[in-house]
Amino acid sequence: MRLDRAEIMDRLGVGVIVALAIFALALLLLPAVIVVVMSFDTRGYISFPPAGFTLDWYRKVFEQPVLTTAMWTSIKVGLYVTAICILLGVPTALACVRGDFRGATALSVFVLVPHMVPGIVLGVAVLFSGALLGIGPSIWLQSIALSCYVMAVMVRTVMARLQKLDPLLEQASANLGASRWQTFRTITFPLLLPAIMAGAVFTFIEGFDNLSVTIFTHGYRDRPLPIELLAIVQNTNSPLVAAVSSVQILLAMLALAAISLTIGLDRVNE
Amino acid sequence: MSEAGVLSSTTGAAQAAPVVAICKAVKRFGGLTVLDDCSLTAQEGEILTLLGPSGCGKTTLLRCIAGFLTPDSGEILIDGRDTIPVPVNRRSVGVVFQSYALFPHLSVAKNVAYGLRMRATPAAEIATRVKAALATVSLTGFEERYPSQLSGGQQQRVAIARVLVLEPRVLLLDEPFNALDAKLRGTMQMEMRHLIKRLGITAVFVTHDQEEALTMSDRIAVMRAGRIEQLGTPEEIFDRPQSAYVADFVGASNFWEGVAHAGRVALPDGQSVATALDGPVRVMLRPHNLVLRAVGGEAAAWDGTIRFRRHIGALMEYEIEVAGGRMLRAVALRDDTIAALAGGDRVSLGVRDAAACVAFPPA
Repeated sequence: MRLDRAEIMDRLGVGVIVALAIFALALLLLPAVIVVVMSFDTRGYISFPPAGFTLDWYRKVFEQPVLTTAMWTSIKVGLYVTAICILLGVPTALACVRGDFRGATALSVFVLVPHMVPGIVLGVAVLFSGALLGIGPSIWLQSIALSCYVMAVMVRTVMARLQKLDPLLEQASANLGASRWQTFRTITFPLLLPAIMAGAVFTFIEGFDNLSVTIFTHGYRDRPLPIELLAIVQNTNSPLVAAVSSVQILLAMLALAAISLTIGLDRVNE
Repeated sequence: MSEAGVLSSTTGAAQAAPVVAICKAVKRFGGLTVLDDCSLTAQEGEILTLLGPSGCGKTTLLRCIAGFLTPDSGEILIDGRDTIPVPVNRRSVGVVFQSYALFPHLSVAKNVAYGLRMRATPAAEIATRVKAALATVSLTGFEERYPSQLSGGQQQRVAIARVLVLEPRVLLLDEPFNALDAKLRGTMQMEMRHLIKRLGITAVFVTHDQEEALTMSDRIAVMRAGRIEQLGTPEEIFDRPQSAYVADFVGASNFWEGVAHAGRVALPDGQSVATALDGPVRVMLRPHNLVLRAVGGEAAAWDGTIRFRRHIGALMEYEIEVAGGRMLRAVALRDDTIAALAGGDRVSLGVRDAAACVAFPPA
């Protein structure tokens, strides 16, 4: 079969795209894979490739109260951030999409601002604001700061879903005798739930492992996991960090798996 | 308000108190007047159709009755009571939406039960009434399906059952057949009319489709630019249109330009049409009211040439060019005399029934 010039170029193009896609996938996955591999090393320092296989580092992670406490603190921060983002973000999204007031568009852009500002800047800003209000660095200040930081994700996800929601559904509900609250509870909210869940996964992960905002706002008694990890990396060279990171990767994967099993990953993209 | 004054029905039901009465309703959006002094009534058990092109205000009027919109002025009465202060969810008005607006996350049974649940009806009563409503629309056995698992026709029946289960005083239908394919549409129109008549519900139905209006309605209100142009039975609307607009919108029409003298307009085939007008007029000739004859030896007064013919199932439609380059449309049953006529043939035209022609002032 003879190939003409155009067909050769087409095949070449497809080849380049496939190669780039494989490269991108490797770039995304390789660091995680390497960290997990190193967490099983028998040697007491970080090096690649590993010399043997042991689960000792994982045992040590869960034997160190500093690390388990930090992990628990970070889980709490993740939950607080998620709760704040749902409580404030869902009504904000409703106001932006359904609200009939001047500045609804401005508001929907404004919630993005904290997310655009570098985390360090936001952290310092919240630290100063907290000082003015008499709130020192603590798990609460950290949760509030991170909520500001990731609120945009919740608002934007819920807004996207709301914009696709047929407004006739709410009118039909009213026509069938439902009050505004009944309509929200039985129609709007259940239909927004997949978007809220998707937003919640992202806000939880950000609350769990954000470092830049956390550095300035965390409490010195409630040291969260990213801060402890930074300390370990700065002071030692042990695969302990790799083990903690692997646990975090596992948590993230569990969250994604939970979503794909309950509402489906394809619906998150909506 | 002058409820009786707005009635122009000849159905004889006009004497009873109307179920729905709209009096001088006006609605503006910005500078645009969408409803301009609309008045009409729907009687007990009547199917009243609002017919008109898009933008004529028919959907706005329907949304005012449902309570989604409030008219700027005028009254909307249901059973003689003013509805304007009544919130949407307290009106005894059921809407079947064009897109059905079924709740996608609820099963068929829960969609139908929705309104009863909002009224805190006891569970046992909900179960019986939902069962009965689904039986009414022949959807028994579909209780656990979700809307996405139903065909368009089934979805529509769920939308109807969801409203009927609440036994509304008035049923509002907003172009409910638009999303259905042509064949199913015809069937559903008949089914819907039978169902509404069987249950004796008063219904207001919105459509831009004149055939649908003629099929479904007891009376039709033809709307134009926010006003009601003519209100009457399908026969009155089709046979005695009060304006060229109605004649043109409902059914196909030819308009022939003539001159009226002493109360009559002479047609080229020798017949004449009675009119109150004088001077230049336009005469409505329905395509089915024109008779075609192949031209023999004698030259007829009203000859033309067939330019185009079109099969419409049992009928044949012809475009005929007459003197002056004007095109007339004629429709005839496909029998042997007609089947022989083809493009380019010369024919002579005649009017079957001159009394069925109506004269209008010139455009």
